[in-house]
Amino acid sequence: MAAARLCRCRCRALLSRPPGAPRALRGLAAGPEMHFGFQTVTEAERREKIYQVFESVAKKYDVMNDSMTLGIHRLWKDILIHKMNPCPGTLLLDVAGGTGDIAFRFINYVRSVRERQLQRKLKHHQNLSWQEIFESYQEDKFNSLGDSQVVVCDINREMLKVGKQKAQHLGYSEGLSWVLGNAEELPFDDDKFDVYTIAFGIRNVTRIDLALQEAYRVLKPGGRFLCLEFSHVSNPLLSRLYDLYSFQVIPVLGEVIAGDWKSYQYLVESIRRFPPQEELKEMIEDAGFFKVNYENLNFGIVAIHSGFKL
Amino acid sequence: VRCQHCPPLGALQTSAVLRRVSNEHKKEPLTSSSQQQFSSHPAGHQPEQDPQGPHPSYTGQGGQESEDYESEEQLQHRILTAALEFVPEHGWTAEAIAEGAKTLGLSVAAAGMFHSDGSELILHFVSECNTKLSELLAQEQKLVQLGEAEKKPTDEFLRDAVEARLRMLIPYIEKWPQALSVLLLPRNIPSSLNLLTSMIDDIWHYAGDQSTDFNWYTRRAVLTGIYNTTELVMLQDSSPDFEDTWRFLENRVADAMNMSNTASQVQSTGEAVVQGLMGAAVTVSNAGISEQN
Repeated sequence: MAAARLCRCRCRALLSRPPGAPRALRGLAAGPEMHFGFQTVTEAERREKIYQVFESVAKKYDVMNDSMTLGIHRLWKDILIHKMNPCPGTLLLDVAGGTGDIAFRFINYVRSVRERQLQRKLKHHQNLSWQEIFESYQEDKFNSLGDSQVVVCDINREMLKVGKQKAQHLGYSEGLSWVLGNAEELPFDDDKFDVYTIAFGIRNVTRIDLALQEAYRVLKPGGRFLCLEFSHVSNPLLSRLYDLYSFQVIPVLGEVIAGDWKSYQYLVESIRRFPPQEELKEMIEDAGFFKVNYENLNFGIVAIHSGFKL
Repeated sequence: VRCQHCPPLGALQTSAVLRRVSNEHKKEPLTSSSQQQFSSHPAGHQPEQDPQGPHPSYTGQGGQESEDYESEEQLQHRILTAALEFVPEHGWTAEAIAEGAKTLGLSVAAAGMFHSDGSELILHFVSECNTKLSELLAQEQKLVQLGEAEKKPTDEFLRDAVEARLRMLIPYIEKWPQALSVLLLPRNIPSSLNLLTSMIDDIWHYAGDQSTDFNWYTRRAVLTGIYNTTELVMLQDSSPDFEDTWRFLENRVADAMNMSNTASQVQSTGEAVVQGLMGAAVTVSNAGISEQN
């Protein structure tokens, strides 16, 4: 039964991705027809369906992430933040940031960088008067983040709710704000943010080109765009193993842990429908970014794309 | 074809990128072809529409920068040059680059374009110093050719050239050990070795070296040894205006002059240079490690 299902998905995959398909099939709406996993739906329907998917998975989102990727998603997100290498004073916009994973990691990183900075400053200040020492303690006590801030933006209210609860539970309060918004139409002014990240979210955006244009708009000149997303595995053996795991194991996990087979079926199908690394790179360049490159993690299961607004 | 679905604003945005102030005579409505050129060949890219020639000026009237399209490389150069003034405070790090980017009006995230250990910043600095040295030597040579100055004897010429080059390190001398250790990373060795050898080559060229035999190698090996050892002495010198360093340099150059004309010297030079470089590497890595601590 499962094997038949796998074959059916495979066939649809082969049919729906003819070689050299124009990008209109992927992210741009050439017409009202769009893909939702391996189904074909209209743009409006797609938005609605995706909203429902995340509404239903929100509470078990983190648990499912851990079980599907065997916890490796934490490493991927850590690598993303390391690649960003933010310094204190950075303004981060995390789009589709739902449950706040990227935001919390960013805060931790900036906090440790700031601590190191302060330690270094203290080392250099050997002969201070008592007045100066007192003053340095005053200003640094309230500046553990060095004015860094992260804005978490998500289209889904449920995901934001889960994120806020997590923040409270883990004790993150400073430098964090939660905004409801659509990646295709961000509720922010131009030239506002230093870094824009979208981790495992751009796949669910209906019009990727619009999201990229919005990213370009809200970034400051010199700002950085970072995208962490499932991508295409080129190694054929690994690709088969990966497909096997994706189509056989993940929806079952979804049913067992979250009681939701269909959402995880959608997840796996949407990964297959997403443009591969090179194509996404071209789309990012089209939006106006420079020095666009990508880094494959785990042989292409996940890729980090980076671009600068210069 | 690719841009059919993009709104015309997108093309204009992309075309207006990488410039600070637009000139009136700049071709405004760029076609998507130039946009493609910018996006598909970013590295080593020369500015396309640049009526001012290959070297657009970066500072114009009244503090405004008047330049046409600059390539990514030029922008990176500007950021690195701006970052140099923050090196004494932050060291050769991504932080210094971030501060440099801030002074240019860019976001601090622009430092992400470079490696986080500051390699590009250091290599940029070294290459700038070498360029300055070449210009200095060329100027001196011109004065000699015009008859306005006397031609210096070789040992004095070498001494002055090495001293001039090492003096450029003085503003950054505190953080220089860190820079040297980064330059010795395997990733950077090709570039740093390249810069070193071309600088030594330059000095000998202006010193009037016309040799085409084995002396060519000997001379460069000897001068490299002198330069490296003097640099290390300078790092640990605390005398006023580095007098001890210049005296050390004088002695080494005198030794080198006395070393000529014997065949066995070739071999011992090679050995000495190798020993010098090994000792240098050890000292520098120790200095680098202690600096990091």
